[in-house]
Amino acid sequence: MAVLLHFIRRLSDIPVLVACAALFLLMVMTFCDVILRSLFNAPIEAATELTRILMAVLVFAVLPVISARADHIAVDLTDGFFARYRLSRLRDGLVFLGSGVMLIWPAKRVWVLAERARDYGDVTEYLSIPQFYVGWFITLFTAIAALAMIVTGLLHLFAPHLLSERHP
Amino acid sequence: MTAALIGFAIVLLLVLLRLPIVFAMGLVGTLGFAHERGGSILSERGMKAAMSMVGRQITDTAQDYGLSVVPLFILMGLFVNKGGMAKELYAVSNAFLGHMRGGIAMATVAACGGFSAICGSSLATAATMSKVAMPEMRRYGYSDELSTASIAAGGTLGILIPPSVILVIYGLLTETSIGKLFMAGILPGALGILFYLFAVRWTVWRNPASGPAGTRAGWGTRLLALKSVWAVLLLFFLVIGGLYGAFDFHPLNLTFSPTEAAGMGAMGAFLIALSRGGLTVKSTFEVLKETSFTAAALFSVLIGAQVFSNFINLAGLPEALIAMVTAYDVPSFVVILMILGIYIILGCVFESLSMLLLTVPIFFPLVTSLGYDPIWFGIVVVVVTEISLITPPVGLNVFILKGVVGDVSTGTIFKGVTPFWIADIFRLALIVLVPWVVLVLPEQMGAMGH
Repeated sequence: MAVLLHFIRRLSDIPVLVACAALFLLMVMTFCDVILRSLFNAPIEAATELTRILMAVLVFAVLPVISARADHIAVDLTDGFFARYRLSRLRDGLVFLGSGVMLIWPAKRVWVLAERARDYGDVTEYLSIPQFYVGWFITLFTAIAALAMIVTGLLHLFAPHLLSERHP
Repeated sequence: MTAALIGFAIVLLLVLLRLPIVFAMGLVGTLGFAHERGGSILSERGMKAAMSMVGRQITDTAQDYGLSVVPLFILMGLFVNKGGMAKELYAVSNAFLGHMRGGIAMATVAACGGFSAICGSSLATAATMSKVAMPEMRRYGYSDELSTASIAAGGTLGILIPPSVILVIYGLLTETSIGKLFMAGILPGALGILFYLFAVRWTVWRNPASGPAGTRAGWGTRLLALKSVWAVLLLFFLVIGGLYGAFDFHPLNLTFSPTEAAGMGAMGAFLIALSRGGLTVKSTFEVLKETSFTAAALFSVLIGAQVFSNFINLAGLPEALIAMVTAYDVPSFVVILMILGIYIILGCVFESLSMLLLTVPIFFPLVTSLGYDPIWFGIVVVVVTEISLITPPVGLNVFILKGVVGDVSTGTIFKGVTPFWIADIFRLALIVLVPWVVLVLPEQMGAMGH
């Protein structure tokens, strides 16, 4: 089990790399677009649609990682209270589990939307990139995030020692 | 309206149980929406409508062109920081102000203001500056109260002086021009620095031992220090000037949209850091990674907030508030005072972004229906949020300081912050009573090249 978890953590570096590449590309593209437009009057016409796609990639590729690492913005005002009554672990387990389950429905719904876009044959304006690819990407990574949170929640509740690698 | 209030209360409860804000707002927003549409939470028709709204909100927000300013501005701040900017800014301010009594604390405030101009987050400004400024103030025997307070307060400027992540989010929630919001933040931010400098002077006037004078730097040192920051100053003027329309003349004809300004800023910061040898492949990767994590967390919260705000609007809470104010004939400035009061109270509990996301959808329609300027309200909200960052019992900036510095109690920091807090209240009063301070720059915008 510990070996498997270790493997998954290594694997999670791949989408993070993808997000970093998307972000770097976004920066370089925006810069080039401004320069080309102002100095040579030749803007990158597809910049807007590429920006949209890169944004979706950059945000959703890391969603599973930040979800499993508990990097979501939360209010820690009551931490002392939970710690005092030794409820922190139970609370974390339930929060992860509940959040993971909550993500299942949006993932399914985005998939329906993507399939609809595929039926209609929606493509982007300049590069004719099919819209449903983005939908599929969002669905896939939301689903992975849901799974990651459910597993993390179960580990908190039943096998907290396996999580120790993350909190040395 | 009852449904909206109950929903609001449940969100508060869930958030206090440490459910991440996106899930608290998303869950209540979805179920509430289903309730409003189908008559009950469990109705199939209502749930279908709600899920369809959620799905659309997710795909739309993730691909919102305007939102791309968020990761790009975060990236710019992190790259500039890799170039050792915080240290250099501090060295410059210190060279000019350090010889005065309380001067090193004043330099800290000024450097915080400068750092805010490249960083859009108050917490990051406070955390970065405390690492740079704290050792220096300790070396000159500054009291813990004054040194920690000047960083905690100075750090709050991060969300007001452009670029500001909070202003971007406000702009997107309310469909207000982000460029104009940025312009509007400049003067109140500068006033913030000025008032904080007075707060430092007041502290050392009360207790001269708390902030002795440092050594006077000669003009040679001063110019040398300036030389190290010119590139970043130039970058700031390029980004903000481009947004303002300052380069919109022949043959350049250059006006930036917020996304373009952010892209130019990020690329410029990347090149500056690269040219100074502050970047390796590994550290570049770290910066990109940190940016995408922060952006993903922000986007998630934003999606949750929009789902929640769709429910609040459907439940008619903003209209009900407007009707109530009209029925009781409440004078508009009383309404503003009440809203400010609510913000200060909520700010005691909530982190700034969540507070903004929860409240703006409710108050914005009311405030604009009373005839107030949406840009002015945005700045007022951000200034109140800044105040909440240093207000006991949970001023977040104070806790950041406590986290970085360690051996100072939060009580001491809060005590030191008091004069700064009072300075903030004066600034807030000024902005509320004289909206000109906020609106003069955005109104001039784009008028320059003509």
